[in-house]
Amino acid sequence: MQRTNGLTRRAVMAMGAGLASFATLSAGGAGAATRGGKLIYARYADSLLLDPVWTDANVDIWVSSSIYETLLFPTDDGRDVKPGLASKWELSDAGKTITLTLRDGVKFSDGAAMKAADVKFSLDRARNPKNGAWADMVGSIDSIEIKEPSTVVLKLKHPDPTLLPALAMFNTGILPEGPYMATPGKDDEERYKAFAEHPIGTGPFMMTAWQRGQKMTFKRNPHYWATAADGQKLPLLDEIEFQIIPEDSTRLLKLKAGEIDGTEFVPFSRVKELQADSNLRMELWPSTKVVYVVLMCKDKLWNGSDNPLSNKKVRQALNYAVNKEAVIAITTLGLGKPLQSFMSSATPLNIMGGPLYPYNLAKAKALMAEAGFASGFEASVMMTAGNQDSTNNLTAIQQMWSQIGVRLKIEQLDNPTNTKRYRAEDFQMRHGGWTDDIADPSEITSYFAHFPNVHSLHSGWKNDKVSALYLASQEEVDPAKRKAQYKELQEIYIEEAPILFLFETPYPVVWRKNVTGFVQIPLGNNFFEKISK
Amino acid sequence: MSRGTWLISRLLQMLPTFLLIGIAVFVLARLLPGNAVEAMLGERGTDEAVARLTARLGLDKSIFAQLMAFLEGVMSGRLGDSLAFRIPVTRLIGERLPVTMMLTGLAVAFALTAAVPLAFVAALNANRWPDLLIRGVFQVGLSSPIFYVGLVLLTVFAAWLRLFPVGGYGDTLGEHIYHLFLPAMTLGLSFAAIVMRNLRASILGVIHAEYVDFARAKGLRGSVVLLRHVMRNALIATVTLVGLEIGSLLGGAVITETVFAVPGVGRLMVDSIFARDYPVIQALTLVLAVFVSLAFLVTDIVQMWLDPRVGR
Repeated sequence: MQRTNGLTRRAVMAMGAGLASFATLSAGGAGAATRGGKLIYARYADSLLLDPVWTDANVDIWVSSSIYETLLFPTDDGRDVKPGLASKWELSDAGKTITLTLRDGVKFSDGAAMKAADVKFSLDRARNPKNGAWADMVGSIDSIEIKEPSTVVLKLKHPDPTLLPALAMFNTGILPEGPYMATPGKDDEERYKAFAEHPIGTGPFMMTAWQRGQKMTFKRNPHYWATAADGQKLPLLDEIEFQIIPEDSTRLLKLKAGEIDGTEFVPFSRVKELQADSNLRMELWPSTKVVYVVLMCKDKLWNGSDNPLSNKKVRQALNYAVNKEAVIAITTLGLGKPLQSFMSSATPLNIMGGPLYPYNLAKAKALMAEAGFASGFEASVMMTAGNQDSTNNLTAIQQMWSQIGVRLKIEQLDNPTNTKRYRAEDFQMRHGGWTDDIADPSEITSYFAHFPNVHSLHSGWKNDKVSALYLASQEEVDPAKRKAQYKELQEIYIEEAPILFLFETPYPVVWRKNVTGFVQIPLGNNFFEKISK
Repeated sequence: MSRGTWLISRLLQMLPTFLLIGIAVFVLARLLPGNAVEAMLGERGTDEAVARLTARLGLDKSIFAQLMAFLEGVMSGRLGDSLAFRIPVTRLIGERLPVTMMLTGLAVAFALTAAVPLAFVAALNANRWPDLLIRGVFQVGLSSPIFYVGLVLLTVFAAWLRLFPVGGYGDTLGEHIYHLFLPAMTLGLSFAAIVMRNLRASILGVIHAEYVDFARAKGLRGSVVLLRHVMRNALIATVTLVGLEIGSLLGGAVITETVFAVPGVGRLMVDSIFARDYPVIQALTLVLAVFVSLAFLVTDIVQMWLDPRVGR
């Protein structure tokens, strides 16, 4: 996506391993940008499917914004929206009507102009419950009307404060109706696979070649509409080659040898070393990534035995007994920050009331005694096998909890097994991580706190007040009232502690020194169009 | 039995093997806990989304119905679409299989080029310093984990000396060989050690045999005795070993491909198992079974050539 109109690109970097706070500084000026060239970027895993509505994975979502663009764009700080393929929007009818004015001169990568019909087609496709897992995000749309060639009107079933952010979310990316419908296939299911092989969008790049698991090639879209602050046409690069290199140390060796220009998902243990390398530039982008342990809140475990964690005091004790700063130092070498809510500090409406459950062993012991577990108990936690960060976190926690008599057994499971048991609610604790997809707290809240969706992370924690606040907030158009609802909701959640609150981490990305202009927003989306090398 | 009918009967014998392997893998893959839908949706899976995707992927049908559909597909050459990548399995494997074949082939070539001559040197100098040195070096190769050897070779030859690329596969045949050089060395190292030790022992076994003494007594030159009488007989056991080891080489390829970012089927197999991508697991296992069986067949043919008594 594109950011013009004098908006400064911001690369936010941690100023050192010991420093938990992030400072803002500008990374390279667009004015000095050179044009052309090929960028080689190594990814830890390949994409699976480049379709906005049928995708299920971050490996698709994070690069697809280079191909498909949305009516609105998330701002660089991930907290708000700004004009995208729609140059302006207007709310009326008490928030039940949204009138969008489409930007002039937008063309698809095949050269055809984007029309209002393409927008209606794409949004209708995105909100069709038969299509993919994300239709609910735009479920409040009742009808879509084309008023004038460049005006699209959305009529909503009810006022929906999450709809504007949803119009900046990947699943509402705009596709060309004509070429899509001309793709062979009797229904959307058959069509999308073929279309996603040769996707057409309005984004700065086009995917021109893809050898699964090896590499993917993006070429510049010659019809791209946006220009840089200095008037240069975007994107600046001619080509991006994504190489797939799962092994962390291999990616970094290739970077040091100059075989690639940049790479993502740098292990935190390597950040310091890379910061000291004069050929490289380490970037730590603020993210919505939160790390936590789900605590089963039901009275009985899956096997029928009693569950001490059903007692709120036990859950609070477990939180007090963990020295988060120490865990952050061990796992992220100081690059993480303690959680201030279940959502990240980059998520809008986080109450930001300071670190939760500051380490207090005496208080933890007292709470355990009050709950009738003065001598502790045995407990188990499951994690995805082979994840070094989870291992580090849980081993540290295991040690810390032994101080209050909790004997923790760590179960390492492969991902599908872990997920199966999670969904079956056959666990006592589960190590987890989350990143938002939308610049709004509603998505994470629906999973973490609103029982009907997924039983509050399958913990079985049910709080009618929280659900009522959440449902009201979904239709609340007054920002102040919505903020108050989210404040109360978070306060209850924190006090109830259905999770162990750990920390949030930035996205670590590293580049050869000559590469500038990359942007990764807190939602994770990668933006390459202003990169020059 | 003529050689032609022998070959045909050997090929026919393979078919039931493949059928059994196909069924076994089909069942085993489904015995793993969790399924493709759970692997794909992860944290975000609501009941509704899981049910919808399960139906879309056809995983809501009975195991028996799925097995029948799979077998029917195999008979007609259709192996289905990858659940994760949504493209035909044949295309996915077709893109990646040549990479692994080339890596394995190069590894075998490396191993034999190093192991065969060195085995002779070691055997002819049995228990003297060249023998001890060669065996010592190979012992290190045999006892080092592939993952570690790979990273050491990468760091020294690619990152420090810049003689080779760190990883990848390149675009042309020349580039492929250049990129696969270090991975093939890594993969071939323990294989070379096994071949060397085995061949050395075989040579020592035949070098004092009566027919060798007789050949010498006939007045044949030393090199002729060595090549025609010692090597030919000593190689019989080694050829069997090479055939049997092809399977473990493919196992090693999984790790080598991961360390060196080589886009072969080894990595695809691991990814597919973690994703519970049943069609890919099934097809890949079958393809590798065919490959290993053919390697056994080639071994038998070579053995027949080396020792005409075999196959009679």
